[in-house]
Amino acid sequence: MIGSGRKKSIAFFIALGAGMILVALLLYLGGVVLNWRDGIRLFFGIVLLAVIIAGVALNTIFLVREIRRNEQHDAFINAVTHELKTPIASIRLYAETLQTRAVDEAKRKEFYRIILQDSDRLLSTIEQILRTGRIGANTRPPNISPVNLPDIVSESVLRARVLHNIPNEAIRYQPLEKLQILGDLDEVRAAVSNLLDNAIKYSGSNARVVVETGMADGKYASVRVTDNGPGIPEPELKRIFKRFYRMSGPLATRVKGTGLGLFIVRSVARRHGGRAWAESAGPGRGSTFVLQFPLAK
Amino acid sequence: MKRVLVVEDEAHLAEGLRFNLEQEGYTVEVVDNGESALELLIGEKRQPFDIVVLDVMLPGKDGFAVVAEMRGAGQYVPTLMLTARDHSQDVLSGFSAGADDYLTKPFDLEILIARIRGLLRRGEWLRRDALKAAPPPDLAESFSFGDKTVYFDLLELRVRDQIFPLTLMEMNVLRYLITHAGRPVSRGEMLEEVWGLREDTDTRALDNFIVRLRKYIEDDPGKPQHLLAVRGVGYRFLAFPQKPAV
Repeated sequence: MIGSGRKKSIAFFIALGAGMILVALLLYLGGVVLNWRDGIRLFFGIVLLAVIIAGVALNTIFLVREIRRNEQHDAFINAVTHELKTPIASIRLYAETLQTRAVDEAKRKEFYRIILQDSDRLLSTIEQILRTGRIGANTRPPNISPVNLPDIVSESVLRARVLHNIPNEAIRYQPLEKLQILGDLDEVRAAVSNLLDNAIKYSGSNARVVVETGMADGKYASVRVTDNGPGIPEPELKRIFKRFYRMSGPLATRVKGTGLGLFIVRSVARRHGGRAWAESAGPGRGSTFVLQFPLAK
Repeated sequence: MKRVLVVEDEAHLAEGLRFNLEQEGYTVEVVDNGESALELLIGEKRQPFDIVVLDVMLPGKDGFAVVAEMRGAGQYVPTLMLTARDHSQDVLSGFSAGADDYLTKPFDLEILIARIRGLLRRGEWLRRDALKAAPPPDLAESFSFGDKTVYFDLLELRVRDQIFPLTLMEMNVLRYLITHAGRPVSRGEMLEEVWGLREDTDTRALDNFIVRLRKYIEDDPGKPQHLLAVRGVGYRFLAFPQKPAV
């Protein structure tokens, strides 16, 4: 899928290059043939020059875009390598420690807990990658069934509290009403969980996350996740949903990730006829992520 | 006890490393970012370490930058880089930044410990070599007074960490004075014994030697404590000058 996209853009560049050479030839031949009539020469000259300039500009734009995409792929491979290898390194280190050293009871329990945590982290990274493949390839349509959205959100909140080992008040959620949607349980759960994980990961040690569900515009069931984290600069609000995209800067190196989470959120929303977006008052002022699915009729 | 600095931002790995290295008998310090590591290695809170285990993907300054910066500042402690990145390009950047060894995650615990031991051993050997290159005090004939030591055969005078090479004649004069420490030695006697000259030769050359020797062995050549002039006779060497009574 990624390969075919690249092949298409390579074909485009070849066609564009050939076209530009043709135009240049035409310009030259036209100059020779039409040399005797100044008016036509001027007209052709201007038109063809405009075409060449437009072509070169297009070429540059696409080239730059392709290079950026390449860079993002590299960054993604690095991030995934790190996200896969780090928990394995940790699991292996603790397993070897338990095997080769005399470890007292309390330490042993702690080491087992760490091993379990790291295998969870590994599993969730693998699931993200596999899910991205499924969603991106569009091979499997959602397993549609009636789902009560607040149930999924409550479940995800519980899971996030356990996974991140945080106190109850770090994520607050009051399910108020029943909101029935038609959706793929697994995908909806993944999308909601991704939003919660992000909110906690980026907000640091004193995360305060508020989750709300409700009706929106009369036809959507909506989940709003508001955090007290570092916030998002305005130009990044849309880009962060792109596949592999990660904001640059110290925050992105502190908080590890693959750049797949929000891409999955948005893809799941779209596959269900819904939508997802981010709001933020700016850096340092927290952010809100909204995920909406059409209500079941 | 050997001191190890572990620079690793993944808490689980850092604690696992700390536990294992402490079990090996090392003293372990853990920091989770490059800036703190640099403070401990070359900055304000500078501490001595025998080896550094350095992760590459760190928040802020990455491992490559950290090792380059500490080498730039003259900190040559053995450094083992530890990272998930295993492209040859990454390995090469690690070495060219100044790392001594490179290990990719996930790693084998025994291999990691063996490499750390290897680096520490190399450091130990280098130290021993450095000592060997210096004159082994027990092999050379020497004489110590205060914080100064004279190695006669090596023509060297060591004052604390400094080494002053002496010429053969300077050493002969000094040796003569030392062997007759405490007793005034006349200029003529020295000329005859050291230079093999007759007593009535001009003695100014000898005075020049004394001036030079004083520069080496006196804390204040203007107020000599060891090489004293004896009026009308010559000179007297005192290894342990008595403090003048106040």
